[in-house]
Amino acid sequence: MKAFNHTNAKNLAEAKTALAKGEAELIAGGTDLIGRLKDNILPLHPTALINIKTIDGLDYIKEEAGVLKIGATTRLADIAANSVISQKYTALAQAAGRVATPHVRDMGTIGGNLAQLHRCWYFRKPENRFPCVRKNGTTCYAMTGDNRYHSIFGAVNRCIAVNISDTAPALIALNAKILTTSRTIDADSFFDVKNPGNTVLAAGEIIKEIQIPAPPAGARSAFLKFAIRKSIDFPIVNCAVLVGGGPARIALNAVAPKPYRATKAEAVIAGKPINDANAEAAAAAALEDAKPLTATRYKLQIARTLVKRALLRTRTL
Amino acid sequence: MANEETVNNEGYGLNRRNFLKNAGVAVAGGALAAGLTPPAERALAAESAIPSALTSFRCPICAKDFDTFAALKNHSASEHPGRVPPVTTTLNVNGKDYEVLIEPHWTLQRVLQFRLGLTGAKQMCGRGVCGSCTVIIDGRAVLSCTTLAVECEGKAIETVEGIAANPKWKALINSYCKWDAMQCGYCTPGFVVSAKVLLEKNPNPTEDQCREALAGNICCCGTYPRHPTAIMEAAKAINAST
Ligand SMILES: Cc1cc2nc3c(=O)[nH]c(=O)nc-3n(C[C@H](O)[C@H](O)[C@H](O)COP(=O)(O)OP(=O)(O)OC[C@H]3O[C@@H](n4cnc5c(N)ncnc54)[C@H](O)[C@@H]3O)c2cc1C
Ligand code: FES
Ligand code: FES
Repeated sequence: MKAFNHTNAKNLAEAKTALAKGEAELIAGGTDLIGRLKDNILPLHPTALINIKTIDGLDYIKEEAGVLKIGATTRLADIAANSVISQKYTALAQAAGRVATPHVRDMGTIGGNLAQLHRCWYFRKPENRFPCVRKNGTTCYAMTGDNRYHSIFGAVNRCIAVNISDTAPALIALNAKILTTSRTIDADSFFDVKNPGNTVLAAGEIIKEIQIPAPPAGARSAFLKFAIRKSIDFPIVNCAVLVGGGPARIALNAVAPKPYRATKAEAVIAGKPINDANAEAAAAAALEDAKPLTATRYKLQIARTLVKRALLRTRTL
Repeated sequence: MANEETVNNEGYGLNRRNFLKNAGVAVAGGALAAGLTPPAERALAAESAIPSALTSFRCPICAKDFDTFAALKNHSASEHPGRVPPVTTTLNVNGKDYEVLIEPHWTLQRVLQFRLGLTGAKQMCGRGVCGSCTVIIDGRAVLSCTTLAVECEGKAIETVEGIAANPKWKALINSYCKWDAMQCGYCTPGFVVSAKVLLEKNPNPTEDQCREALAGNICCCGTYPRHPTAIMEAAKAINAST
């Protein structure tokens, strides 16, 4: 790893000031960042890291006035183990509990899970070996190379790498809001691949809190992930659903450059009982607009099955 | 920059080779089964050989020695302008404080190995994937290869050496040896540390719970089936003795 200065921020204002100085980057759990810096994948290397784990009062889970509030530096392990989240915000507990490994969940934070960079072996090749479109280059090496884990919903700005956050689809399904140092953003519109960080966060903007409104009475949510191994691996496809008590919400990830909201499937399942036939119809609608590459065609069946099973899973929770 | 990670510019003459020769290091692996010095003794010897305060300050860039940190700082500013200056920090490892001189980008694994001579937490992938570098920080099993040492001040760090030296956990080490839950032994310290955290939270784990707790540890030799057996048997012994 190249050398950098390091500051332990005491509060958000201090972190913001430090961020504004030159090539600085935030570090939370470091599980995405440190690996990335060791591999030196980007053309620019930060000259300073600002540790936000030292900020008091950014690590909490509480329910206030019918809203679940999670501090940005709350560890994924704590979210997965929280009994209120497991009971009422089930998809999020299930998603947090399926991220990576127990060790990574004990280090990684929810803020970092949302702000992590995408996974593409060309983008992440050590020593910036592939100066791709996401690094101001002209070529997407995955387009003509090995793209078996890439998008089934086409490219954004000629990049077909996928967002692999496991918590993102759960937060979108649960209608979460993301509070930053300057505004409140719907989880659904938080991701924007046109920005270098994959999110709408402006330079110097820091995620403070995740807020989730309590699902209406009778609502149930579920999350499912398909990966090669049960532990460690990134999702090939994941899916979170919220049904009952109001409009249905269905979101998938690892299928497109940003989390994919399956609005057509939501319309199909709206107001209908959850049974095999209806879940299957919704699953088919979820993938209706897919444009898979030759090597990612297999993901269609996985994605359909996950949508169907996630819907059916809400009956048994 | 790959070589930078393995460069052994440690202080105190504690390099890996003479450290192993003089003090012996508790590797909870094959050496134990071979019936050498008992693990607890070797682990204690390893720890007491480490000075707890810095007496000499070596420039990490040019290896020049200074008597005070202030002198080293002056040297860094005048001789290596534009480079990130080293820092000192105090790490609490296995219940004892150690002052170390490090650079801010050094990982905890690197500092444990090259500054303190504790070779139990091993770097395998270096990217947070395999768990062979697992240590305990404030009760959680975490990856020292992906943790910056500068962020560990004031935290209780426990390594496999500390577990091996603690009579309470002797049964865990013995059980690993009895069941031969290792082949080359490289990954074993990481498994043992994860297992200890599991047993602290759950004194009677089932086989599935053992598998779940070890799901972040990779063993290239494929010793997986032995681990739950060893842990569940250790649990019985530990519960019987406490
Ligand atoms: C082996 C391995 C397997 C993994 N598997 C999965 C998986 O299956 N699913 C999955 O979802 N993820 C996976 N990850 C990715 C990821 O590291 C974790 O999910 C984790 O949640 C990231 O959080 P962190 O706190 O460690 O982030 P960091 O590494 O500290 O930060 C990541 C990025 O987010 C930024 N950031 C952090 N906090 C904030 C904030 N509050 N505001 C603004 N920006 C911020 C940082 O500046 C940095 O750019 C895996 C990682 C590893 C090493
Ligand atoms: S060496 Fe740390 S996880 Fe592999
Ligand atoms: S015993 Fe060899 S890697 Fe596990």
